[in-house]
Amino acid sequence: MNRISSNPNAPNHEGAVLDSQESFGVSSVNYSTINSVSVSGNGALARIESLLEAIVDAIIAGNEISIPYKRVRVSRPGPAPAPGVSGQSQTQRSGRQTGVVRFPGRTIQEVKKFEALFCIIEISHEALLSGSLITKRNIYYQNPDLFGSQAAVDIMVDNLAFTLGLGRGDLNIVAAAKGLVSGPIVLVNRDGSVVDCGLSHDTGIILPSISEIRSIGFHAAQWILVIEKEATFRTLAAAQYAKSSSAGHGILITAKGFPDLATRRFLSVLHSMRPDLVIFGLTDFDPDGIAIIRTYQSGSKRLEHEHEAVVPSLRWLGVRSSDLLSSGENPGSDDEGDQGSQVARSHAAFDLREASASAHERPAKKPRLSESHDPTETVSSLTLRDRKKAADILRAIWSVSQPSEDGLEHAHELQRMLMLNIKAEIQAVDSYGDLSAWLDDKLFAGMH
Amino acid sequence: MSKQYLTAHTVDQAHPADIFSLAPTPSTLISASGSSSLRIHDTTSPNYPLLQTIHSAHKLGCHHLATARGPGSQTGNIFASVGFGGDVKLWQLDPESKQYQLQWEIPTVSDSGKGDVWAIALSADEGYLACTTSDGRIHVWDLTAKEKIQTYETGGGRGAAGGGGSFAMAVDLSRDGRLTASGHENGGVYVFNNDAGRMVYSLSGLAKPVRAVTFSPGCKRLAAAGNAGIIALYDMEHGEHVGNLSAPGNRPSWITSLDWNDTGDYLLSGQLDGKVKVWDVARGACVATHSETDSALWCVRWLPPTERALGPGMGKGERFCAAGASRSLSFYREATGI
Repeated sequence: MNRISSNPNAPNHEGAVLDSQESFGVSSVNYSTINSVSVSGNGALARIESLLEAIVDAIIAGNEISIPYKRVRVSRPGPAPAPGVSGQSQTQRSGRQTGVVRFPGRTIQEVKKFEALFCIIEISHEALLSGSLITKRNIYYQNPDLFGSQAAVDIMVDNLAFTLGLGRGDLNIVAAAKGLVSGPIVLVNRDGSVVDCGLSHDTGIILPSISEIRSIGFHAAQWILVIEKEATFRTLAAAQYAKSSSAGHGILITAKGFPDLATRRFLSVLHSMRPDLVIFGLTDFDPDGIAIIRTYQSGSKRLEHEHEAVVPSLRWLGVRSSDLLSSGENPGSDDEGDQGSQVARSHAAFDLREASASAHERPAKKPRLSESHDPTETVSSLTLRDRKKAADILRAIWSVSQPSEDGLEHAHELQRMLMLNIKAEIQAVDSYGDLSAWLDDKLFAGMH
Repeated sequence: MSKQYLTAHTVDQAHPADIFSLAPTPSTLISASGSSSLRIHDTTSPNYPLLQTIHSAHKLGCHHLATARGPGSQTGNIFASVGFGGDVKLWQLDPESKQYQLQWEIPTVSDSGKGDVWAIALSADEGYLACTTSDGRIHVWDLTAKEKIQTYETGGGRGAAGGGGSFAMAVDLSRDGRLTASGHENGGVYVFNNDAGRMVYSLSGLAKPVRAVTFSPGCKRLAAAGNAGIIALYDMEHGEHVGNLSAPGNRPSWITSLDWNDTGDYLLSGQLDGKVKVWDVARGACVATHSETDSALWCVRWLPPTERALGPGMGKGERFCAAGASRSLSFYREATGI
């Protein structure tokens, strides 16, 4: 069981299940990946190590280093290569592209690719040695700059596994079961076990596969809040926000970033069972945040063929530019001249910032705002990638002849984002880490 | 002595989205927004009627416009616009119909359909267009020959990553055609000599993103402003920082837009908190503040002076226009006879 407990997802999951009932059904998805750990000892470690040995040999000999690397052709829907079949014969059989990544590379891209590939091999080696599972997400966060995107990691992992003639699971690399749910709802599984999502306090329950669920008990839930960030989700779950909100009881869900199919399906099922529940989405103020909202609402391009995984009625709760920008709290105040101080201190034009700056000098007119921390800590400039991504989403919005109301709103916020050249995390609107007051207002306004 | 300006006219809901840019010609004002249309308003009539709507000019919306600024009535024959897709278009006035028509789309968009142009500036003789990029370069295009004649690099400076420069958020060309100035996300302000084709001044002092740079009509001063909330003034003879314009108080809002009046005596600034201010440059003081809106102003522009009284209630005084997130155009005129 050591292997299992080192899986970052397993402990929460198991604990949560045991907390509620002796139910095992919900965990079947995870167990299948765990099972793959036990059979992965054969060959994978040896192959990875021979790869590493070859690299070390090349370094010692002062030769050019090369790692074999074959690309899985997307157009060819081949079955995952079975463990034990050598990469060579696999290649010949399915006619896929072959190649190597060299160091020093021919181009800067190749150098980067080598470094990224080497990083993945190292991580996989480590995971195999310790018998733990590592998620693709985790690999990406080892060095986001190096990999550039989660997609790049996903592709490289799949290609590496293919090159070695293994399955992805054999490398002890898995896609995380991502989604979490917390709140006063009860999931009844097909095997009759019952999971009360209101019981686990700060961790939430890992979303079971929809096929495992027989029924869902909603209790008094009136709203569903889908949160981009796991950290925000956990904070709210720990504070029992689902029960304590002044907007009534609700359900909290996170997909830990970009939504996976399982989370979208779960949400879609909730919506079809209880269409009267208002579903809100809370994301960062950045192009990815808007892309996430759009994925929940209308699906992703890559998984267009997936049905019953969209919730067009999902409402975007924030964060928007208006939540960050000054709304003229004290019109004309800077002309009245408090103490004629030189303006060289140069503050940003944020409502919250203004209030906090003035808190020491005069009675705060808005106590809640004056408690807020400095938003310049959480507001940052858009990167080149952000700006490109924003333009890409704008193109997607205008690729239909008549964008929806939601689409227009997304477009307008993206344009303001580009003009301001800023992005902000959800935390930018909280008050010393407490998001509940802001959420209460927004949820209340959204439901009435 | 403070100046007084009155709201002369407001064109409500001039666009169905935030108005991001304004550009005056001797007799019109062009406006652009997050919607795909450009609009041209008649500034010689008290109701500022709409003269022309250019539909589908920029599919993703338009964020920058540029007209030539200079004396006399020879300007306004062309203007340039940049869309959120990085596409740059040049529009020419047809003397017969008095309508602007697409003259040329500058080939800034790559084969993948993506362009990388942010701010633009049109030279006083309407012959050259300066375009900035996200990696801090400034391309200058010869509009007659339809070719790129100059590229200024700003990479290797502060905050530069991977050899590229900091995002160039603002650009201007001096009226004598001699100088190009750029304002950058990292707070940098650079001035280039167009004859020599090289950088002559690297001006520090703002340290925060620079959203507007503009040469005085006499080309002796450069004003720059942005997130620092103050206006920095630089002498163009020796590249010295000669002063700041700032309001008393300690919470200046981000400045999004700057414009010199035609005599170079006054500077107009627009802020993110909705305030528009007129500054007496010689005295270094703010002489008028308007805050009709508390939503963001994206652009403020003086209208070129007119030699004759335009009509009842319009006077001869100087006028300016402010626009932004309110989606309206607010025209102001100097109060006379007080």
